Amino acid sequence: MANRLLEVSNLSVAYGDVRALWGVSIHVDQGTIVAIVGANGAGKSTLLRAISGIVRAQEGEIKLSDNSLVGRPPEDIARLGIAHVPEGRGLFRHMTVLENLELGAFQPKARPRLREGIDKAYALFPRLKERAHQKAGSLSGGEQQMLAIARAVMSDPALLILDEPSLGLSPLVVRQMFTLIQTLHSQGVTILLVEQNIHQALKVADYGFVLKTGEVAMQGTGRDLLANPEIQKAYMGVLE
Amino acid sequence: MTEIPSLQVLLQLTVNGILGGAMYGVAAVGLSLIFGTMRLIFLAQGAMIILAAYFVRALFQGLGIDPFLSLPIVITVGAGVGWLIYQGLFRRAAAMEDRNVSLLIAVGLMFLVQNLMTVIWGGNTAGVVTSYTASGIGAFGIRMSFTRSIGFLIAIAGTALVMLFLKKTLVGKAVRAASEDMTSAALLGISPHRVNAIAFSIGLALAGAAGVAVATTFPFNPFAGFVFSLKALVALAIGGIGNVAGALAGGIILGLIEAYVQYFISGGWTNAFGYGVFLLVLMLKPEGLFSRPYKKA
Repeated sequence: MANRLLEVSNLSVAYGDVRALWGVSIHVDQGTIVAIVGANGAGKSTLLRAISGIVRAQEGEIKLSDNSLVGRPPEDIARLGIAHVPEGRGLFRHMTVLENLELGAFQPKARPRLREGIDKAYALFPRLKERAHQKAGSLSGGEQQMLAIARAVMSDPALLILDEPSLGLSPLVVRQMFTLIQTLHSQGVTILLVEQNIHQALKVADYGFVLKTGEVAMQGTGRDLLANPEIQKAYMGVLE
Repeated sequence: MTEIPSLQVLLQLTVNGILGGAMYGVAAVGLSLIFGTMRLIFLAQGAMIILAAYFVRALFQGLGIDPFLSLPIVITVGAGVGWLIYQGLFRRAAAMEDRNVSLLIAVGLMFLVQNLMTVIWGGNTAGVVTSYTASGIGAFGIRMSFTRSIGFLIAIAGTALVMLFLKKTLVGKAVRAASEDMTSAALLGISPHRVNAIAFSIGLALAGAAGVAVATTFPFNPFAGFVFSLKALVALAIGGIGNVAGALAGGIILGLIEAYVQYFISGGWTNAFGYGVFLLVLMLKPEGLFSRPYKKA
């Protein structure tokens, strides 16, 4: 069996009295792309937010390699090797592109590689180099998403978490985004991806989980899920 | 006021306004930093400035240390006190959703410090008189008080150093990032407690610098701090929250308003005009005069 990087077991999360996740179990193996798909409000973002410590888990266990993440603050979890690009990208819009990238290497272990990391980011995204001294908020939506991902990989994370990277982007840019995800994957980055763009997400994913009203409704390899008639009917039938 | 003032008088008023306002400015820079990361109006800032002024006086009277030469000591102690205040008083409250808890702690701290100062040094007006207190620098018929001029230079240097820190160092950038979006900053491994503590340290180091300036120029008493906090708040609103240079400029603008109103209208009206401008700015340009309203990409 492949090397288990992230193991979420029996996770329950509630916002006040409203339960968002009910006993969710997922896992991510080293070097794979895992997609979490599902309709709006299925609890996808909540799951990611619980993993990176922004929301507290009521029940269950989250383990990154041998470290338990439950109860730790986000900054500790980031230092353990999780880079979470949140929904809305979480850029510092008033700061420059370069400053955003530099902050990606804020963690002590990443700092020595700051220069090298920026060169790598520029090689991967030449547009960011052209706009290094512009405010992040002045970039186009696609460029902002590229910057958010480039910033996240500055810390050389064990696990890269992407929340709806294709949200609000034009179809052409969405394709570039998924190409980028595959490029990062080929460089050895392990990726956990949440998407409403189910077709594209399952196409690049090694493994996928379908969330439905806070529970895992289905799981399997990306290919199996794509071929599953139930999924085709429920999520792709009308829109795709 | 029917007479037309001479150019010389106008210049003198302007100089007085700038020199006096810089002190509000440096207090506002401290407020701005603390507000940036904690979303807290640190109302005790003025009381801490007065506390620093008493400390300067104690160093002068007790140990014979010149007030201006005590600056490094006062700043260092201020930074340390800022760190302790955050860790001791605000650390838990900072993690709470409800900002009112932090605000109440700040108000409580203000009263505590005021009363401690009264108990220790008495409620009477105090001052620091040195051999150069009364001396001045003159040029083109304008007279500048020596101590106020040095106080002005301290304010400019302090603000410039804070700006350099925020712009050029990675930790400074982390403070700016956290001011903009604390959750995103935490996701990059930036500890909210650390940036808050840094903001408090710098804020109180600046209070120390302002304390030196106050001690050498004004007579002060334990209760003078609250007015200082209010003026710093006005300066902050004029300059725009989260804009360090703007906070200093806001202080200078407030100083100018006070100097002109005092001369052309009357001393009794200075505060009314100051707070009037405060309200006007908040009503008409709440982001401050020096911050462009943010354009969405």
